[in-house]
Amino acid sequence: MEFLLENILNLIGFLVGLAIGVMSFIGFRNTGSPTLFRLTIAFFSISLGFFVIWVGYMAEDLVIKSGNIEKWIQTLGIAIQTVGYFFIAFSHSIKSFSPKSRYFRSIGIFPLFLISSVQLEHIFRSISFILLAYGAIETMLSYFDNRKKGTISVAIGLALLALGEFLGWYSFLFPESILYYVSMIIKIAGLIALFIPVSKIPLTKIKFDEGLE
Amino acid sequence: MAEYRTHMKIIGDILVTTRDDLQDENGASVTYLIRKANISHSRISRILKTLVSQGLLEQVDLKGSNKYKISQSGREFLQAYYTFTNFADSFGLSI
Repeated sequence: MEFLLENILNLIGFLVGLAIGVMSFIGFRNTGSPTLFRLTIAFFSISLGFFVIWVGYMAEDLVIKSGNIEKWIQTLGIAIQTVGYFFIAFSHSIKSFSPKSRYFRSIGIFPLFLISSVQLEHIFRSISFILLAYGAIETMLSYFDNRKKGTISVAIGLALLALGEFLGWYSFLFPESILYYVSMIIKIAGLIALFIPVSKIPLTKIKFDEGLE
Repeated sequence: MAEYRTHMKIIGDILVTTRDDLQDENGASVTYLIRKANISHSRISRILKTLVSQGLLEQVDLKGSNKYKISQSGREFLQAYYTFTNFADSFGLSI
């Protein structure tokens, strides 16, 4: 059951990350926007992170068959995803701390890090949680400004991913409980919510950069 | 408080003015664009030079004074600009 859910989660994560990454890249090639460049790095990293874990699980399932995936593969995949979450949070921090921004002086307290000292994986999970929570809060604030449905969908997606990361990290305390399954299902829901607004972009109307054709 | 505009947003504003809000059929003058886009002369001069060199704007020379009109590439850029502005908006970001 864990293998199945992990495979579904990682495959959806890989595909959703790739789709949003490609869309961001097309946007960057067409407009030269640095924001879209950062989103490209973010979502390609997220996609690659899920892909690494998925390959790890598939290799375990089809080749190694030891019954337990190598921990370092999972840690590597989560670390790569964390880089992606960092770039989403970084884009928001640039927007929030840009000159004349009305948020410039309103954010005085940085979230505190709660780091498990036991394993590297849990350090990455806790960092991912903080980055995702920050991204979700900033996206929610943007929704209050622009009132677009797509923005609330992304905010919910990031919040669900943050909750999923938190539960995944917390399940470390209760290894055999249902928490880890719940965290995976929540993350799948988060990825789907993230993809909803991107699926509505009218891609056929965009003139593709010549280099992409 | 005035809204902070990114460099991309200023470019979008200039292109929209040269597409939808021309003074006459010859195009928009620099003074007119400064007023519409609300930026300094030195900054708009640099941006206009870049936009003309990239083929997004056409420069019309009229007895020593330049006027600017949007080109076909500029229109296509604006279409992509709108699409990806919506895309970035979904993430709570500005392009």
